[in-house]
Amino acid sequence: MSSDITVSDLKKTFAGGARRARSNAPLFDGLSLSITAGELVALVGPSGCGKSTMLNLVAGLDRPDRGEIRFDHGQADIDLSVVFQQPRLLDWLTVEDNIRVVFERDGKKKGNAAHITHDLLARVGLTEHAHTYPQFLSGGQRQRVAIARAFAISPDILLLDEPFSALDELTARRLRLLLQDLWLGEGHRPTGILVTHNMLEAAFLADRIYVLSGRPATFSSIIDVDLPRPRSLDDPVLFDVHRRIMQALT
Amino acid sequence: MTDAAVTVTAPAPALARLKTGLRWRALAAASLPQIAFFVFLALSWEGMARWLHSPLVPDIATIAREFLLICKNGFVLQEIGATFVRMSLGFLVALVVAFPIGIASALSRTAARFFEPGIILGLTVPGLVWALLCVIWFGVSLASPVISVALGVLPSLVISVQHGVNSLSVEVIEMSRVFRLHRTAVLRRIWVPWLYAFMISGCRVGFSLAWKVIVLVEIFGMSNGVGYQLNAQFSTQNVEGVIAWTLAFWLTMILIERGVFRPLEKHANRWKKGSSHE
Ligand SMILES: Nc1ncnc2c1ncn2[C@@H]1O[C@H](COP(=O)(O)OP(=O)(O)OP(=O)(O)O)[C@@H](O)[C@H]1O
Ligand SMILES: [Mg+2]
Repeated sequence: MSSDITVSDLKKTFAGGARRARSNAPLFDGLSLSITAGELVALVGPSGCGKSTMLNLVAGLDRPDRGEIRFDHGQADIDLSVVFQQPRLLDWLTVEDNIRVVFERDGKKKGNAAHITHDLLARVGLTEHAHTYPQFLSGGQRQRVAIARAFAISPDILLLDEPFSALDELTARRLRLLLQDLWLGEGHRPTGILVTHNMLEAAFLADRIYVLSGRPATFSSIIDVDLPRPRSLDDPVLFDVHRRIMQALT
Repeated sequence: MTDAAVTVTAPAPALARLKTGLRWRALAAASLPQIAFFVFLALSWEGMARWLHSPLVPDIATIAREFLLICKNGFVLQEIGATFVRMSLGFLVALVVAFPIGIASALSRTAARFFEPGIILGLTVPGLVWALLCVIWFGVSLASPVISVALGVLPSLVISVQHGVNSLSVEVIEMSRVFRLHRTAVLRRIWVPWLYAFMISGCRVGFSLAWKVIVLVEIFGMSNGVGYQLNAQFSTQNVEGVIAWTLAFWLTMILIERGVFRPLEKHANRWKKGSSHE
């Protein structure tokens, strides 16, 4: 089941290594955010404002100084997937094994690994590369593997940290559509947080866009995107949303 | 989203001929430079021998006669075999010990500090000292060569393991944590293949170090093996004997390199782009 994400009264400071006083100011102080199960929200804002840090906190890779992040069930039972900016594949495993490996997890086994892997490879168009090693793929193909891996466990929560920013625009466009397809195709859509610098991407994929800025960071603006899905990348309404985000940012 | 593939077809017999032709060419390209080296070495040696005209620099024919002599009845194989068993055992012991120490040093700074003086000691002490001490302590038993080889090789293997563990990227570790990969999966799918690829070159260096130690142990404390034979030839002032034994061992090492380390390296690095060349 997809899960709510409730972030309450979050505080996070990075100490050390800081020469400027500003760097010791907390990144977040009393930040709250709640996302309903099955929603996909986008997080945008200037570089260094703490977007990746926020995702790391939600993913459990880092701990807040204060405040908490709650899901419907305990952190240990949550099936959480991340698509990072770099694909972070295991270079020594074939494409197929890179996806299959996420079935070897703590706790329960979900579904038929071979079947799901096969199916996902077909959906991301990499069937013929099933036995290729990642270093022999193009950047876009590698990121497709990372996306397939993220969906393999039917996650409750899906975190995306600038997933397409390292790719050329044409490839990124295709992968945005692919991502929408996969996300809509899930029985229960995972609750998603997408961090991006591409405002059209945010408008295209998200139900709601949070504009994060300042230090400590606050949500300077929250923009709802009420568009039915599946959406088209060329919908003129997206450009309206885009303009509103840019206004909020500047 | 499928990727277009272009296939070039040629008539089957022509293609087959082309393939065998390519294979021969590849083989020639791989072995000709090495053959050239042997020829060059032999010619220069022969030139030197004729010019100096001294019993201390025997000519090729004399060396070849000596070489055939030690090859008779497979004697040379027997001796090299004995040396190899000792070397390999010592090396394996070192490898088994190096893993826990290297991993601990990579994961804990305290462990690294604890082992550091030991590693420096190991790097400083010449193999000769291990050989002498082990022969004194353990006498003419299998323990002497095995332990001294292990001690001689251990520090470099520990360093290799430590570097291997440290060089796995944090990103990969984070990925495994996010996906909550099971401990055995982390071990089998991440650590083992990673360290395997990383350690092969370390092992190759370690193995050549092992040879330098074993030969000393055999000189001082064994009654057979290549080291013993070298010493025996030396004490009878038989230069061609020393050369013949060295030659035999050299050839064996080339075989090991080609038959063991190269294929292992190729296998361990098969996933790396640009590793397909020799
Ligand atoms: N592990 C860390 N140790 C110290 N400081 C850190 C660490 N991680 C992040 N920071 C600091 O926290 C701030 C926010 O970093 P973060 O990566 O979250 O930014 P971001 O919003 O994702 O930026 P970008 O859009 O450039 O990716 C930065 O000033 C960074 O220097
Ligand atoms: Mg970031």
